[in-house]
Amino acid sequence: MRDKKRPGDQFTKGKDPAVKYADPKKQVLNVKQQSRRDFLEGSGAAVAAGAGISAFGITSARAQSQDNTVSETTPISVTVNGTQHSLDVQDRWTLAEVLRDQLDLTGTKIGCNRSECGACTVLMDGQPVYACSQLAVWADGASIQTVEGLAQNGELSPVQRAFVENNGPQCGFCTPGQLMTATALLASNPSPTSEEVKEALVGNLCRCSNYNAIVEAVVMAGEEGGLA
Amino acid sequence: MSEITRQGLEPLRTIGNDTPRIDAIERVTGQAKYTRDWKLPGMLYGKVLRSPHPHARLLSIDTSEAEALPGVRAVITYENAQVVWGAGSVNGGRQYNDPAKAATIHRRYIFNNPVRFVGDSIAAVAATDRHIAEEAVSLIKVEYEELPFVLEPEEALQADAPKVYPEGNLCPDFRGEFAPMVSDIGDVEAGFAEADQIFEERYDTGFIHNAQMEPRCSLAHWQGDKLVLYTPSQGISNCRHDTARDLGLEDHQVQVIAKYMGGGFGNKNQNQDADLVAATLSKRAAAPVMLEYSRREDWLGVHGRWPTVQHYKIGVKDDGEVTAMQMLGYSGMGPYRKNSGGISGMDAYGCPNRYREISPVYTNRTTSGNFRAPSEPHGFYGIENMMDDVAYKIGMDPVEFTLRNMRRPTEERPFTNYSLDEVISTGAERFNWQARRKVVPGSDDGPIKRGAGFSFMMFRAGVGTSSAIVRVNANQEYTLYVGVTDIGPGAKTTMGMIAAEALDTELSNVEVVWGDTDRCPYSVGESGSRTTIMTGLAVVEAAKELKRQIADNGMPSGNDVLIGSATPTPTTDGKTRQCFGAHFVEIEVDTRVGSTKILKYTTVHESGRIINPTTARDQIRGATIQGIGQAIHEDLLYDPKSGQPLTPGYYRARHLTHKDIPDIDIHFIEVDDGYGPFGAKTAGESGIILAPAAVGNAVANAIGRRMRSMPITRDKILGAMA
Repeated sequence: MRDKKRPGDQFTKGKDPAVKYADPKKQVLNVKQQSRRDFLEGSGAAVAAGAGISAFGITSARAQSQDNTVSETTPISVTVNGTQHSLDVQDRWTLAEVLRDQLDLTGTKIGCNRSECGACTVLMDGQPVYACSQLAVWADGASIQTVEGLAQNGELSPVQRAFVENNGPQCGFCTPGQLMTATALLASNPSPTSEEVKEALVGNLCRCSNYNAIVEAVVMAGEEGGLA
Repeated sequence: MSEITRQGLEPLRTIGNDTPRIDAIERVTGQAKYTRDWKLPGMLYGKVLRSPHPHARLLSIDTSEAEALPGVRAVITYENAQVVWGAGSVNGGRQYNDPAKAATIHRRYIFNNPVRFVGDSIAAVAATDRHIAEEAVSLIKVEYEELPFVLEPEEALQADAPKVYPEGNLCPDFRGEFAPMVSDIGDVEAGFAEADQIFEERYDTGFIHNAQMEPRCSLAHWQGDKLVLYTPSQGISNCRHDTARDLGLEDHQVQVIAKYMGGGFGNKNQNQDADLVAATLSKRAAAPVMLEYSRREDWLGVHGRWPTVQHYKIGVKDDGEVTAMQMLGYSGMGPYRKNSGGISGMDAYGCPNRYREISPVYTNRTTSGNFRAPSEPHGFYGIENMMDDVAYKIGMDPVEFTLRNMRRPTEERPFTNYSLDEVISTGAERFNWQARRKVVPGSDDGPIKRGAGFSFMMFRAGVGTSSAIVRVNANQEYTLYVGVTDIGPGAKTTMGMIAAEALDTELSNVEVVWGDTDRCPYSVGESGSRTTIMTGLAVVEAAKELKRQIADNGMPSGNDVLIGSATPTPTTDGKTRQCFGAHFVEIEVDTRVGSTKILKYTTVHESGRIINPTTARDQIRGATIQGIGQAIHEDLLYDPKSGQPLTPGYYRARHLTHKDIPDIDIHFIEVDDGYGPFGAKTAGESGIILAPAAVGNAVANAIGRRMRSMPITRDKILGAMA
């Protein structure tokens, strides 16, 4: 069901060779950056430019729900941080909304709600995704990991420890997303160079611009054994 | 890797040692509670309707369909909810207070008619679910009469320009007079007469949105006649006071709670319209209301750094002595005077003849307001590029030219200490300035050209009043109460470290209580780089008071506690107190495509004694990177025909990402001037002041063309090379 509903993997982050090289026009170094561009040049920019006036108050939810009644629900089953949940979700709910509003996992932050900033990054079946840009129904059958699921038995993960040690968070709002992308990176590349960290985390913005400290922390976590 | 070095002072017991934040675990585990993470029983969601037009009169509004939508609990509009947002527009752009409220001519309301920019608020809805609230907003019908609009400040002052207010477009000053802000020192005409050469040039700078990661939001909850406000505020005490004043309440009837917040950079000072809209919706709906702004609403509906135009005229003798400086500036404030519109920088020079005239101007762009060092980065960019240009034109090294002309202490205006010579010479040496700069700008062969630029600054580090309370129990455990919020720099940790040092105990033995006006005393707020100095001094004094009590009475026993509190009114004995800094940057420009790449970035700062080197380091690095983004990327462009904003959002404003970030070397020269807590000065704003000026100078040194319009985007570089 999820495979049918998910529109390919254009919002999926990470280094999936199939995604990276499937379309010759998309032969870019970073899949995430391409995704952001696709998204904005597609739906996002069209809304702003198309009407000639701004899009305040016009939302995708409105477009989906022409009859002004409460949106229909779909039952899904999703595993979050190792716990399975059976949920009736409205078709217009995003994964970020379900995590925050239904499951009280508010560590996942919504910074832009339109695939620009990466604050909402979670792992879906091990791959980083922007939870603001995944409909909840697409998560049916998936295994999701959020920032609340990183520490095990009260022990911080190596990348969390490195963030504590090296001042990874300033305001802390982008931190959960940075941590999740870094976790996926360390799973596939246990001791990344700083260039590799920058490449992987390019879709996670930090307006405090604490980028140096974040990269240093992820490199430090790698040197200390990655996820081991 | 960035290199991090310090010189001058040895660490104390706690202060001066690299210290993880006391709330770091909460921040890395998702447990830190930000405003939008709160949920209250029966909580509704709020949404605002905003103008799609840059300037329009509202002829009618029909909310019947919105009100009929199941789940909608309240609809408020400009017709039935006329609440003054005092801090949203103040004569002279000064701090909001009772005299300012009485004097303000152009008041701003939570909803306005006419609407004066794309994004101005018209109405708001509270509903049981955020999607229903969004739907309801889209069902409100508004009839607009579109009015002529004006976007550019210089244009807005033309006689035939569309008027944002009937009185015209020059903003009133704090006295209510429609006059520019003038600073006239010495005799500028006599100074120009003395000069061997006179240089004149125009610079302009763009609108930079604060763009903090957490969009504006507010959760309002009435308990009888008391308002509880959960809101991301950079100053809970001021937010409470302003909100009470706007809603006609006493201070004690408002409780402001801001535990964690996702940045602000000046965007969350005082109270915001979101607080007043949420409070009004909550009152009407008789339920708690969480008001959420989208990213686009935050970008257009709150504020960013004012765009400016700066006309300079500099008189200089052949030996490099500057004899006269003049600047005529224009700041685009949008349609409300939220802040000053200042353009600083000329005051960093010692030239005795200086004339500065700044016209803050109303336009139909989004509102301008404070962003980290509100008046400085654009002003220092303008004047220091102007002066760098003059230095090369008269054949001088810009560093020598600066050392010759920068402001120094005088007998009439002494400083608490002055280390700018040492800061600049240390930076030049660490960067290897002589080897990296091109004596002849643009002299590299081939299309890829390298060059180096330099900038310097001094910035206020004054002392002032704030409060703190510290308590000790029989277990000799300390609790510190400070009305700070932790916007990102680490104020809680800094305050805890100052308390631990002053009490001669471990940081782990100090619990910090913060972010709640019902539990904490007054604090100045996380703006103006004031918290470390002002609230820090209050912590020192409260600790001294407690230690006096302990000396008199001994440590408490049983259930007893001892409490020390302080609200000091420190002075600097009439001396000027400043922090100092210099940045050096080497840049490579590919003149075929206009791209820029930073090869080396060296910073030297004197910010007094450094309390926590870890967080101070990242204040400088982060602010520097924000400044680089301002220098080469960020702007909010408008379509001149429709008045529509074209580049709101991170993607379109082209914010820097991980891959754009250079290593930034940090060097602190540490000094204890005897003022401030253990000698600490300011660090939060200084980094951003220097980056645009240094980057602009480096690009000019690389390509041999002066870039007079910021941001220095690729198209502008290509244009300059053509």
